[in-house]
Amino acid sequence: MNAKQEKGYIALLGWSLNAIEAAASFDRRYLVVAPEWAEEYCEKHQIPYLAWNFERLNDRSMEIAEKLKEMGVDVAIPLFEETVEWAGAINAVLLDNPRLLGQAMLMRDKSLMKRRAQLGGIRVGIFEEAHDREDVVRFLRRVNQTLLKLDGDPNDPIHFKAFDKAGCLGHRVIRTPDEVDGIPDEEFPALMESHLDGWEFAVEAWIHNGKIVFLNISEYVTLGYSVYVPASPELEAYRPQITQQIKKLIKTFDIEFGLIHPEYFVTSDGEMYFGEVAYRPPGFKVFELLEKVYGFNAYQATMLVFDPKATTEEVQKFFPKPVEDAKGYAGCFGVYPRRRVVSRLEIPEETEDHPYFDSHELTPPAQETVTKRTAFGTHWGLIYFAGPDAKTLHELLKRQEDLDFYI
Amino acid sequence: MNPISEQTAEQKLQQLLEKLDDALQQFEQAADFAKPGKLPRLLDTARRVLMLEEGHSAMEKLSQRLETAGIFAGTDWATPQILVPSLTTASLKSADANLVTIEALNELRLLSVALGDYNHPLISSEQAHHHLTQVIAINLAYLFTPPNEAERESQGRLARLPRYLFQHLAKRIGYEHIIDQLIDEIWRILRQRPIQVDAVKSMVTQIAICQQDPSIDLGVSGQGADRLVSSLYGTTQACREDPGTEVYQERLNAMDAKALQSEATGFARAMHDTGLVSPYHAVLVRHLLEVDDYLMSEALGLSSTGRDCFLCYRQLARAMIELAVHPQTAQAIYGLALLLERGILYQPPVAPALWRQLGLNLSPYAQQRLQIAYGQQVTPEARLMEGVVCILGLPLGVGQGNNPTCQSARALSMWAYNDPDYLLQMLTWAARDDEIIMHFEGQPISSRESAGGLAQELPLDLDPVSLLVVPHLDAIYVEMGRRCVGREGDPHRWVNPEFHGWWSGRGFQINVDVATGQLQELDAFLRSFYACYHPYYNGNQPLIHPQPAGIAITDSAARFIGWHAITLLRVALDPDEVMRVYFYNPNNDSGQNWGDGVVVSTSDKGERFGESSLPFAQFASRLYIFHHDPLEGGQTQAVSGEELDEVKGFIERSWGADRHPVDSPLQAAKN
Repeated sequence: MNAKQEKGYIALLGWSLNAIEAAASFDRRYLVVAPEWAEEYCEKHQIPYLAWNFERLNDRSMEIAEKLKEMGVDVAIPLFEETVEWAGAINAVLLDNPRLLGQAMLMRDKSLMKRRAQLGGIRVGIFEEAHDREDVVRFLRRVNQTLLKLDGDPNDPIHFKAFDKAGCLGHRVIRTPDEVDGIPDEEFPALMESHLDGWEFAVEAWIHNGKIVFLNISEYVTLGYSVYVPASPELEAYRPQITQQIKKLIKTFDIEFGLIHPEYFVTSDGEMYFGEVAYRPPGFKVFELLEKVYGFNAYQATMLVFDPKATTEEVQKFFPKPVEDAKGYAGCFGVYPRRRVVSRLEIPEETEDHPYFDSHELTPPAQETVTKRTAFGTHWGLIYFAGPDAKTLHELLKRQEDLDFYI
Repeated sequence: MNPISEQTAEQKLQQLLEKLDDALQQFEQAADFAKPGKLPRLLDTARRVLMLEEGHSAMEKLSQRLETAGIFAGTDWATPQILVPSLTTASLKSADANLVTIEALNELRLLSVALGDYNHPLISSEQAHHHLTQVIAINLAYLFTPPNEAERESQGRLARLPRYLFQHLAKRIGYEHIIDQLIDEIWRILRQRPIQVDAVKSMVTQIAICQQDPSIDLGVSGQGADRLVSSLYGTTQACREDPGTEVYQERLNAMDAKALQSEATGFARAMHDTGLVSPYHAVLVRHLLEVDDYLMSEALGLSSTGRDCFLCYRQLARAMIELAVHPQTAQAIYGLALLLERGILYQPPVAPALWRQLGLNLSPYAQQRLQIAYGQQVTPEARLMEGVVCILGLPLGVGQGNNPTCQSARALSMWAYNDPDYLLQMLTWAARDDEIIMHFEGQPISSRESAGGLAQELPLDLDPVSLLVVPHLDAIYVEMGRRCVGREGDPHRWVNPEFHGWWSGRGFQINVDVATGQLQELDAFLRSFYACYHPYYNGNQPLIHPQPAGIAITDSAARFIGWHAITLLRVALDPDEVMRVYFYNPNNDSGQNWGDGVVVSTSDKGERFGESSLPFAQFASRLYIFHHDPLEGGQTQAVSGEELDEVKGFIERSWGADRHPVDSPLQAAKN
């Protein structure tokens, strides 16, 4: 709209309507870099567009970087896990900083990421790489031996995460060797971690000139099911420690600008364990939740901190005060069908009638038989809640796990 | 736990309206490309408002804002002037909540236009009012009946929404408008004399309930309802107050001949007036079996032709009444009366074929299908016999139901009309043997061995004869088509004559190139059609046998919908001296608007019961396949250029718009 020439020219890597909408109503020039199938749509709606297929990095990656440079683009922003390394490669050229590519590659490999964190003095759980199913079985046994379990005692679970999948996709919890057989070949290699009992949460931190300009804590009610912002007062009590952890992370990974999205555990003794970190917008629509409670558009926030031409004043003016400025709490719940055969969608009456219920994006079932759930992250859609009290919201989100949305 | 119980409905509505306002604002402010992403939330919030009874008047007030924001953009609802009332039924019954919601919002929008609160650029308040009364008339059941099992199963709590909607619409529009519309609608359907009248009967019942309800003020409307209601529930003096069949039987027992005569003529008059038969009529007819044949012919309302036929075939007619006429199968009386009037019993094979039908042992499968479809109140044999007399009495009353089987329905109707004993033979094979064998170019085709027809599941919404025969015909029809795979041109050329009967002309004309879908040799096609069928060009020869033909169906905006099978019946001048084609359409309601001024008439233009008609040129403009006798050429060159241009104009403005003929000189000139 009021694109100002003195501000940065931004390339969005990947197709996200919400991001495009945010860019279109922001004050910077932008360009959508997306696969060819988006072309017709962009032409029809006059969205500035450049066709590119994001496969594995190859010898053509220089081509896109040069092209964007010629067009005068200042920076590229990754919207999805798959475009993170592309952004690294492109920004290395655009910003003339070859280290950015290495940094991005680090963010794309869960195992390298953990080792780097460990080197930086950040606490992580026990982890190992798995190249085949045997590795998984061995790790499961070793972890449980370490915990002094006898044969026949129920195992402590381990977590299994495909190396390069985003968030919960390809994240499995494994308790018995039998379950190992169900892992498809394409999820190897993978990272395995011991299970930590504790409070899991995620952070969205916007960084500008190496400093945190806004830090949000997202509280999980149940991993893979529900999240809300801001975190409850109990978790927010840890904000100073969490901020320290993020600063360590910024230092260790040498991050100057952008949005990071790490996950942590707090164990019962108050110790923080690093899970993983992503250099892209979080899944599970945390951006929408933030907009709901704070009123700022998190995509625009991201464009702002990526833009090398953004000034400190502009950035400071943009962000609200964490927690203090929030209008209540907003959360969402990912619905999984609980029955094996479903015929239609019906929001349970108690959910729909709850004053915190805001909206949903569930669609009628496309097929009748429900595929057995194997990994996290394949929910059928989200429902949104918002209200003034964290505790009510927390319980409400928990309660949804026991309800049928598809019957 | 549930904080809602303390909330009043009003507070709840208020909260929802705030959320709706929020969603609507986001939708309004979104860029065009982002609107589809905001729509689901808007629709869902609207749905929640509409799930509250009071929500409908709130949404009515928001109509204009919703439409301006673009809630209907890119859908048929964006052009309200072309919407078809009958389509609302399917949308409102959908399990897809968004579809139900947008349909309801559309009705509320039209309400707001009809009441003059919203000046719409595309539809006048009169049009909107007219449309809405039709919508309400078609969906009137929502006003009176709780959700049935099917709705509960597919919609759950959502089934409340259309009920609140129609309460609101009826209240705002006024009951007096609906009742009159509904009565007109019923008469319009009844004038086509369908075999299946259950839907009409339930609508008449709704009116009767409405009339009795003191809380509904009908004003001066609903006057015409009496003829309908009384034809079912209080036709004559002795059943005026709808006393129940047992009481009525007792009264009959006490009647003398004069009183019986009066009952008989009373029923007969009502039956021939409406095409509906009262259950009391069945009680009387059974009673008369024991009393008097003369009174029986009075009760059937027979003319001298019918009476003569009845008396010639007295025993057969009595046997058919004995088996088929019961209060639950009262329509059999009407079918029988018309069967007798047609004089088809004088064709030598028909009476013996009916005797075979009377003694036919139905296969267990056929019995089961009849019982699933019609219940167990009367025997499957009685139900089937009712179907037989009805299809023979009303050959053009066959409907295809909600099934893609227009060819099979057409064949049944054609046989009932033209070759009744052949139909009875088919029925015997289907009902007794569960198998029909037809021959295609000398090779037998068994319905049992064929892989299956166009209908995905066995249909249940059919008349009894269709119910048993259509699945077999459907399978055979598809198999015949399969055997034509690889031949050049359209398979109907070979299938139609073999499937329907020897009288289907072996000459075949098609104006669409099968491979490309483009129009081809349009002039020659039309000239040939005029020369074969138009009395001015074929030597004034009336059509002898019904002929299968194919038409391109278009919707009320003249857009192409699909290919459809019909039967050509007659070509003649109507009362206004307009040359019309009279044809049979297997759709259940033939009164259809095909757009561009082409409106199919079903009455008042010289149609016989069940016939549809169009002026010759308009009909020709939707025709794409016809058969003829190649040895009987007419005067193809006598057809004037103006006449052809008129037809071509109708084609160009509808389904032919994007099918430009490859050999058109215009096309060549452009290139």
